[in-house]
Amino acid sequence: MHIAEGFLPVTHCVAWYAVSAPFVIHGARRVIAESREHPESRLLLAAAGAFTFVLSSIKLPSVTGSSSHPTGTGLGAVLFGPPVMAFLSSVVLIFQALLLAHGGITTLGANVFSMGIVGPWVGYAFWVLAKRLRWNANVGVFLALAFADLSTYCVTSAQLAIAFPDPVSGLAGSLAKFLGVFALTQVPLALAEGVLGVLVFRLLRDVAHPELVKLGVLKPRANQAVA
Amino acid sequence: MSHGLALDRAAWSSPWRTRSVRDKGVLSLGLLVAAVSLPPLPGDAAIVVVCLALLLGPIDVGAARLGRILWLPLVSIAIGVATVAVSVSWDAGVRLAVTPEGTAMAGHLAVRALAAVLAMFTLACSTPMVDLFSACRRARVPAPLVEIAALVYRFTFGLLESAYAVRDAQGARLGMVNRRTTMRSAGMGASALFLRAWDRARRLEEGLTGRGYTDTLVTLERPRRRSGAFLALSVAGLATLVAVSVAWEVVR
Repeated sequence: MHIAEGFLPVTHCVAWYAVSAPFVIHGARRVIAESREHPESRLLLAAAGAFTFVLSSIKLPSVTGSSSHPTGTGLGAVLFGPPVMAFLSSVVLIFQALLLAHGGITTLGANVFSMGIVGPWVGYAFWVLAKRLRWNANVGVFLALAFADLSTYCVTSAQLAIAFPDPVSGLAGSLAKFLGVFALTQVPLALAEGVLGVLVFRLLRDVAHPELVKLGVLKPRANQAVA
Repeated sequence: MSHGLALDRAAWSSPWRTRSVRDKGVLSLGLLVAAVSLPPLPGDAAIVVVCLALLLGPIDVGAARLGRILWLPLVSIAIGVATVAVSVSWDAGVRLAVTPEGTAMAGHLAVRALAAVLAMFTLACSTPMVDLFSACRRARVPAPLVEIAALVYRFTFGLLESAYAVRDAQGARLGMVNRRTTMRSAGMGASALFLRAWDRARRLEEGLTGRGYTDTLVTLERPRRRSGAFLALSVAGLATLVAVSVAWEVVR
């Protein structure tokens, strides 16, 4: 769920660019440092970016009878961490704007803030919380992906409400309107993305355990640790 | 996704592809900034007309392709505009109403968003991503960042092919007949894509390392046509748009 091109007033566009810039610059510095230290990681980061982009082409059934697509940032935050996702999400959002006409260049700052910063950090917080509480990893993945999606949708609604306060009921009325309209697809979608994440994670744990260990997502198995 | 490929194909086949990114960037980003800054009438309405003339004229997108790439942003704009047009109040129970203020705001918003989308299309439909990466390198954006963005672009098309192949195979095996099987197929498909992305990255890395890859994948570039006349005409056109809009506001 992105804000379309030209939808925000120019002052809001500038403000959201200013808010998002420090996070994206921090993420970009991490990416540069990582790629200088481990040049081979560039290709893996690029693969992660392409995966996030292509994931948005996978249609999920929605309660309204239509279908929608996952954001992919929750899974990315669990696998690669939120700072890297701030940069990768910016790249993905630019691609979505220029290749899919989804989102936009003027609204890039606002969309990066909701999908590339708040979503991954909220998702990552739930993943870490679940690990601290020693919950099952599947529960952690479900919560991370579902809340990354939900928080993205809530922030986008708030951004639109601030830009277009309701003439009768003001900011609160506008927020209720946008949350209500997008809840029809976004709440079921968040739950569906959580379930999808669990299915993906279970399969990855079986067939790509060494890669997940390398990323620091899972601990090595006992026999691997000894080896 | 066909609209996405349509945008990319339009960029590669555009007669304006040979123009320099600087020239096209000044025109397109100028139109984009004007679209979100000027009042809807006459500024944004004029931008809509100018952009349509450019897209169907020298950029040569074609009416049918323009329709295909325009429908997604139009649906997105329509949902947002409809939400802005309707007012909600809850003092005496939840009540929805259409107010003159809400309608005016929605009308302005629709024209502005349409103008901005079409302005963005003038760049997206005439400039392939690889040309933008080259422009970023010349603008001294850190090489690793441009390199990763370029690799994302290269990986994307291979993965999209894989995604279509996986989806078609799942559909042929009745993997999309109901909600449950669709979810399961989507999970399997996403996992397969992740593993393919990972495997391709690893194999590419091994292959490139063997060929001495250290920092960037250097490719030859065709020289791009820079035109002072094009640039001057773009700046003059944008200045005229702004002047007419400001004069209209003053006179009104």
